[in-house]
Amino acid sequence: MNKPAKPAKPSKTPPLLRVRGLTKKYGDIEVLSGVDLTVTSGKALALRGRNGAGKSTLLRCITGVDAATAGTVELDGEPVDERSVAVRRDLAIVLDDMDFFPDLSVIEHLDLFARAHGVPDAEALVDAVLEEVRLTAQGAQLPGTLSSGQKRRLALASAFVRPRRLLVLDEPEARLDQAGLEWLTGRLLQEKADGLGILLASHDPDLVKAVADRVLDLDELSA
Amino acid sequence: MSASAAEVRALRSQIRTWRRGRVDTSLMEALSDAYVVVFSALVLGAMAVNVIINVHVIAGGGCSSVSCLDARDALGWLFGLAAITVVLAAARLLGPMLVTPAVGTWLLTSPLDRTALVRWRLLGTSVVAALVGAALAATGAALSAYPVDVIGWLTLLAGTVCVLLVALATVDQARGGQVVRLLAWSLGVVLWVGLVLVARDSVPALLRVPAIAPLRVAVVITAVVGVLLLVLAYRSLHLIRRERLVSGGNLLPGISGALASLDLTLFYDILVARHWRARSSVRVVRGRGSGAGALVWREVVRLRRTPQVLVGLAAALVLPYLATALGLGHVMVVVVTLTGFAAGVGLFTSLRVLSRTASLLRCFPLPAATVRMACLGVPCLVLVLWSVATTPAVHDAVGGSWGSSAAVALACGAASATAAVRWMTSHPPDYRLPLITSPMGAVPTSLYVSVLRGFDVLLLGTVPLLISPTVTGAMWTAGLMAAVLAFLVGRP
Repeated sequence: MNKPAKPAKPSKTPPLLRVRGLTKKYGDIEVLSGVDLTVTSGKALALRGRNGAGKSTLLRCITGVDAATAGTVELDGEPVDERSVAVRRDLAIVLDDMDFFPDLSVIEHLDLFARAHGVPDAEALVDAVLEEVRLTAQGAQLPGTLSSGQKRRLALASAFVRPRRLLVLDEPEARLDQAGLEWLTGRLLQEKADGLGILLASHDPDLVKAVADRVLDLDELSA
Repeated sequence: MSASAAEVRALRSQIRTWRRGRVDTSLMEALSDAYVVVFSALVLGAMAVNVIINVHVIAGGGCSSVSCLDARDALGWLFGLAAITVVLAAARLLGPMLVTPAVGTWLLTSPLDRTALVRWRLLGTSVVAALVGAALAATGAALSAYPVDVIGWLTLLAGTVCVLLVALATVDQARGGQVVRLLAWSLGVVLWVGLVLVARDSVPALLRVPAIAPLRVAVVITAVVGVLLLVLAYRSLHLIRRERLVSGGNLLPGISGALASLDLTLFYDILVARHWRARSSVRVVRGRGSGAGALVWREVVRLRRTPQVLVGLAAALVLPYLATALGLGHVMVVVVTLTGFAAGVGLFTSLRVLSRTASLLRCFPLPAATVRMACLGVPCLVLVLWSVATTPAVHDAVGGSWGSSAAVALACGAASATAAVRWMTSHPPDYRLPLITSPMGAVPTSLYVSVLRGFDVLLLGTVPLLISPTVTGAMWTAGLMAAVLAFLVGRP
C-alpha cells in the first residue's frame, strides 16, 4: 500500500470530481490561482503545502462552503452546489469548523446524522462506528466533556455513519493519537477499496504516503 | 430522494424526546420564573405606557408655535421610518434566516429539506419584526400627539411594512443580492433628509399628520405585497446557502450572552469582529514615526480606513439642530453630549482592544498611560471638532454670547469624549465578586453598574452645563472631565 507519491497515469475512468481553473481572492489577495484537479472513484488525492498555502480554502471552495472567485467544480459532471440535496448526499465533508449541539450526546449526534441521511439501520451502524473510533465508552457524554482528540474522532465518525461517494477531509490527522492515526489510515484504505473517492489535505507525510494515489503540492502550484 | 418535511418533523420529535429526560428545572421553578417574567413585563410595560400617555398629553398642550407643531407632526413619521430601518438593519445583521452552528454542521449538510428546517423561523421572525416595528412606531406616533385612530393605523402600517421587509430580506438572502443593503442605506438617507428638513423648519406637507383614508389604503397594499413576498420567501428558503444561514446563528449566541450579562462593550466587540471578518483584507498602509507617535499615526490610518464613523458623526450633526427646532432649551446640552457619545464611540476602537487585551498592551515598550493617551488623542480631537460644529445650535438654545456658546459646545464635546473613553475602557462584570440574589439568579454586584458606565460620566459632565450653560459651567465641566480622563488613562 505504501506507494510513492507521484502523478498517476491518466485514467480512462471518468472523474468523480473535476475542478477547473479554481481561483479564490480575498480582496486583492489571490489565495488560489487557476487550480485544476480531478478525483476518481477508488482513488485518493492529497493536497500538500505550507500553512496558508490555501489547502483549506481550496477544500472549502470545492465543497461549496465558500464561493470561489472563478472556476468550476463538478461532481459527476454536475456543478457542485452545497444547496443541492444530491451533492450533500454524495459528499462527506470533515473540515475544521465542526460544531456540536451542546445538549446531545455523542451517540445522539451520530444517530441524528445517520437518520438525517436516511440510513436504514442507523443504530447498528452508529454502534459499529463508535466502536471503531473508540468512543463507545463516551457514547453518553455531551460534546463539552470530550477532549479535543475525541471531538475530532466524533467529527470523523460523522463521515462514516452516512452514505457517501466522495470523502473530503481537512487535516484529518489533527489531534489524533498514534492509535487513531493507524485507524484512520486503515479506514481510508478501506474506503478506497470500497470505491470511494478521497480528497484530503494533510501535513502528515506517512498518511499521505499510505493513502494517496496522487499528491497536489500547492506550494509548487503557486511558485 | 430528498428527505421530506415529514422526516424533518420526525427528527425534531426525536431530538425533543432526547431532551425531555434532561430537564433540570422543576415545574414549580418554571412557573416561578414565568411569574417573574410576566410580572416584570407588566410593570415595565405599564410604566412605559404611562410615560408615553403623559408625554402625549404634554406634547399636545405644550407645543404651540407653528415650527414646533410642524416638527412634532413630522417626528411621528420619522420615528416610524426609523423603526422600520432598525428592523431592516437587524434582519440584515442576523440573516434574517438563521440556524444554530450545530444545526449548520449536523443537519444542513444532510439531504434534508432545507425549507422544512427553517420555515417556522420565517414565520417567527416575521411576527417578531411586526411586533417590534409596530411598538416603536406606536411610541413615536403617541409621543407626537397624533390622534388615537391615526396611531392605530400607523402602528398597523409599520407592522405590515416590517413583515414585508423581512420577507424581502429573506428573498435577498436566498438570492445573494444587495437589495436589502441598498434599501437600508436608502431608508437611512431618507430619514436623515427628513430630519434636516425638520431642523430647517421646512417640513413638507407629506410629513404632516396623516389622514386615515390613505393610511388604510397603504396598510392594505403593504399587507398584500407582504403576503406575496412571504410566499416568494417561503419558496426561496431552499436556496439559502449554509454559510448565510450559519452566519447569523454564529452571531446570535454571542450577542445573547453579551446582553444577558449586560456587557454592552462585548456586544460592540462582537459586531466589530464580524465587520472585520467580513472585510477579510485591507490595503496595507505603512506606519510612521516611532513610539507613541506611531500609535497616533495608526489612529489617523484607522480614521481613513473607517470613514463610515466620520460619515455617521457628520450625519448626527442634524440632531442638535433638530433639538433647536423642537425648542428644547437647556436640554440641548444633553442632546449634544449624548449624540456625540453615541456617534463617536466607534472612534475609540483601538483603546477598546488594548483595554480588553492586556497582553497586547504589554507588547508596547511604553507606560500604559502613554499608550492609552496615544490611542485617544485623535478620536478626542475629532469629537471636540464635531462639538464646535454644534455651536450655532447651542447658541440658539442657550442664548448668551457666541464665545459662551462655543465654550459650552466644547465642554459638551469633552464630556462626550470622556464618556466614550469610560465606556470603552470598562471591564466586564467580575463574577469573582460577592454575588447577590436576583430574579435572574446570583449576579455579581458590578453587573448593573457596568451598564451605566459611560452614562455616569455623561451625567457628571452635563450637570454643570444644565445648571449654568455659560463659560463658568463649561469650565466646571472641562475640569471634571479632565480629572476623570486622567484617572481613566492613568490607572494600572
